[in-house]
Amino acid sequence: MSFPEVIEQSNQVLQALVDAGERVLGYIYPHPPHEIFIAHGLKPSLVRTNPTVVGAYEASLQTFSCSLTRNLFSQRTSSSFPLLAGIVFSGNTCDALQNVGDVWRKRFPEDKVLRLTYPVGDAGESSIDFLAMEIKSLSDDLETLYGVPFSESAFKQAAQLLHEIRDVLQLLYSVRLLYPPLISYHTLSNLVGEYLTAPTEDVSERLKGRWMEVAEKLDTNQTNKVDQLRESLLNKDLSGFDSTIESTSLRIAVIGGMIEPSTFSGLVDDIHGITDSTLVFDMLSFGFKTVFTPPVNIDGDPYKESARSILGAHSEPTQEGLPKRVEFLKDVIARLSIQGLIVCEQSFCDPDEFESPSLEKAAEEVGVPTVKLPLDSELSDRARIEGRIQTFLETIDAN
Amino acid sequence: MTEKAFGIGLDVGSTTTKGVIIESDGSILASHLQSTGASAASAVAHVLGNLLSISGKTRDECRIIGTGYGRNIVDMAHKTVTEITCHSVGVNALNPDIRLLIDVGGQDSKVIRIGANGRPEDFELNDKCSAGTGRFLEVMARVLEVSMDDLGPLALKSKSPCTISSTCTVFAESEVIGRIGSGDSPADIAAGVHQSMASKIGSLSKRVGVATPIGVTGGVALNPAFRYYLSDILKADLWIPDMPQLTGALGAAFIALKDMER
Amino acid sequence: MSDEKPYRKLETQALLQQIAFRHGMEAMAASEEGNLAWVSSGFPVEIPVAMNVFPSYPEQAGAIIGATKIGPEVCGFAEDLGYSQELWSYARASIGSTDRPDDVAMGALPKPQALLGCNNICGTILKWYDANSEQTGAPVFLLDTPPLEDEQKPHHRAYVKQGLMRLIDFLTKTFNTTLEEDRFREVSDLSSRAIKLWTQSLKACQNKPSPLNCADRFLTMAPVVSSRGMEHCTEFYEVLLMEVKDRVKQGVGAIREEKIRLLWDNIPPWFILKFFNKLASRGVVFPADTYTHAWSGAVEGTDTSSLLDGIVDIYSNVYLNKNLDAKIDKMVQLIKDFDLDGFVMFSVRSCKRYSLGQLVSKEIVTERTGVPGVVIEGDMVDSRLFNEAQIQTRVDALLEMFV
Repeated sequence: MSFPEVIEQSNQVLQALVDAGERVLGYIYPHPPHEIFIAHGLKPSLVRTNPTVVGAYEASLQTFSCSLTRNLFSQRTSSSFPLLAGIVFSGNTCDALQNVGDVWRKRFPEDKVLRLTYPVGDAGESSIDFLAMEIKSLSDDLETLYGVPFSESAFKQAAQLLHEIRDVLQLLYSVRLLYPPLISYHTLSNLVGEYLTAPTEDVSERLKGRWMEVAEKLDTNQTNKVDQLRESLLNKDLSGFDSTIESTSLRIAVIGGMIEPSTFSGLVDDIHGITDSTLVFDMLSFGFKTVFTPPVNIDGDPYKESARSILGAHSEPTQEGLPKRVEFLKDVIARLSIQGLIVCEQSFCDPDEFESPSLEKAAEEVGVPTVKLPLDSELSDRARIEGRIQTFLETIDAN
Repeated sequence: MTEKAFGIGLDVGSTTTKGVIIESDGSILASHLQSTGASAASAVAHVLGNLLSISGKTRDECRIIGTGYGRNIVDMAHKTVTEITCHSVGVNALNPDIRLLIDVGGQDSKVIRIGANGRPEDFELNDKCSAGTGRFLEVMARVLEVSMDDLGPLALKSKSPCTISSTCTVFAESEVIGRIGSGDSPADIAAGVHQSMASKIGSLSKRVGVATPIGVTGGVALNPAFRYYLSDILKADLWIPDMPQLTGALGAAFIALKDMER
Repeated sequence: MSDEKPYRKLETQALLQQIAFRHGMEAMAASEEGNLAWVSSGFPVEIPVAMNVFPSYPEQAGAIIGATKIGPEVCGFAEDLGYSQELWSYARASIGSTDRPDDVAMGALPKPQALLGCNNICGTILKWYDANSEQTGAPVFLLDTPPLEDEQKPHHRAYVKQGLMRLIDFLTKTFNTTLEEDRFREVSDLSSRAIKLWTQSLKACQNKPSPLNCADRFLTMAPVVSSRGMEHCTEFYEVLLMEVKDRVKQGVGAIREEKIRLLWDNIPPWFILKFFNKLASRGVVFPADTYTHAWSGAVEGTDTSSLLDGIVDIYSNVYLNKNLDAKIDKMVQLIKDFDLDGFVMFSVRSCKRYSLGQLVSKEIVTERTGVPGVVIEGDMVDSRLFNEAQIQTRVDALLEMFV
């Protein structure tokens, strides 16, 4: 879910791309094969929810369809997504997206709606092979719909570009964890937002510039620590990370499936009790999990390596692997000195709502307090959300 | 420059605005409650004015903490603190034994586990839906054609409450209408309504962990049938402060004092 | 003259209690021996049964919890643990009853040594079983059958088959057992025969009057879900079919005065099956429904490999694993084949996979068949979400269209 300002900025970027003759392909689930889209001459862009949109879904979706799907549907009912050349839904991730994709095609038959079906299982090569074939199938559909065949050279360039972008973001995430004063979460989250809007050369250049500014302030020792932490996070294994983090101020992390980092940052920025150094880490699907995706190996079958890269990211609540996610969370809390965890839960979102009790329990087991934030795409009751967070901070402060 | 010696808590709720002024030993110099109405800002100004004139103190002598849903409009507050913390501190000041606090207001309900230092250890809120809040009872009182003050005593007359199973206020309302149509007695229906509400609050409490002794605050605490059924569900006695609507403001005032000590 | 009920009770129904009782006893024994698995309803249970692992069905336990009217209470136990009231009520009932088995009169299952889930019925199976796994310590095996858009493609088939190989491996290691081809053939054969017999009973409802109403089918469906592959299950369906054929021969219907024939879509509200009896008194019968027609694929094959291929095919192609068009096609086909006058779509609030899309399919089904329908809202286990008055109004409005 996103704020209107983010949407406006995003639309400006997309408008500029469209004016320059580019075509933008929207995606909803945070792990699309960016490189494949680009190889077909399309720019991948996250389709965002808009909090100002009023319900217009009632003729097609019941109220128990998740908040995200209802919001996107309402946006589409009121007008189209003029800057998008098409939308890719996900299959086999959650039932709402699964079913609403079908409903969308029926109600808006003129729209270009595609689906990429993901494996749920933790089945190694078997899962990778399956996803590779699905990506290939999507690639064929993209060629049919948009008339641009898959370009090997464009694919390799795209892989390089995404690698560079994620590389910097990963380093910045690590800096934020180790040395919060060097980069604000607000800034970091906006940079992630740019990557989600469209991963372009411009974005990469800006990121590289930002990294230079930050890197200058690090001595050799600190740089090593940043690298080490980044590797550990990417490998989902913090056991090799041996540094202790000293901090005089409160360190909070946030976790959840359906909120963008910049939106979360916007929600908490003005809350009494939050300082510039408080929010040190997000484990959000639209933040950490998409940023810490391993790079695509360009020496190999493009579809297979795309699949391998996607499945190499941290698993989502829509996938197998809950015990691993729980252990990793505990590790993060313990080794990275997290003192409080905010658990975001989207309204009528099965993956979020099934997973959040396990996350809260995990934090409890390592002695860290949590607060659950019930959210929806309209960000309604913002005052109450702020109230919860403020109370939460007051609770930690006192105990 | 006058030394600050008095604590003021201003609790701006969606229905009522409350204020309390206390001195350094914790004794209450004045308190005031009024309807928030359409302008929270003027309600706050009015309450503050009242507190100062009754106590005879000036603003300069006081540290002011704002709390409640509308805390951010309390311009004159030195700081804002959420009502969860304030209710916890307020109840702790009145009765340090209380470990679980249930606050049922007009529009939301909260359950707070109070730690040894008087601050919340954990909390749960029901703030998205009107069932389980004062609003639920208002709707049912209207359907049963009794005043809010009479609803509780009516319910207490019943020996066999009806089952009202809907958790949604709107559905429950039509369930109640159905019951009236079927000829069930108003007392039994009223009792069912209170039982349903107590059950909802009971569930909310279990998510935080029921720990005795239990305190209940908020406007609905004044309702004897609600207290009866809640006590039954939680299998525990309930402690109600004399002025259950003022505990938030009181807690805020104590926090103001605490701040001054630092 | 005693007042006759508007519906007729099946004699075969009496056997259900015996089967349920026996199943319950065997499950307890299996659990004690370390040999019990909890299984999802769409799981290829033929494999664990052939490997001597005993299955129990949390979904069926959920239906029982619903039917015995303790749904809200038991779901409440899960909500106390932090699970949202918006979640699938079968899952909440299961999580709740696993947390507090002593507080659940009927429907708490004995402790499992493994949790076998297949997501062909929906995506939340994995989440539910992950939660149960945290509670019981039993490991989860998920058979991933990604939803189909049209024909199942070769790579999809291969992926699912690989999943089955991993399943066999998992069961071998977890339960110290093996898959013997003869036994596998035997169990598949029993399952296949039971399903064919069941399908015949379903088809017999094309007759007028219909020998079975939907409530009859919802209850007699239990063995094919929980015991297929076992002998007594096949025997049950032989007996049921005999009674059904007998009724057809004598022109005896499930309800006394059949006037209106409707299609039911979705899982029923288990806590208020008498809803159908009330409608029966107005001459309304449901000769077909999409829920009981979900179990219609019989596994055939001569050896392990071909049996596995058959399983891949049948279990990937279940009703809930296909897209909206396929669901609409199925409903249209049932309306035509069973000569139905209209349809009722039950919108189960906590089941997105089955329910999301009904607002659209309602229009298209009417377009294609010319018959009217109505959508009513509720839940299968959580009776707090079922508003009788509102539902009655909508159903009445539909029935008035037939006068």
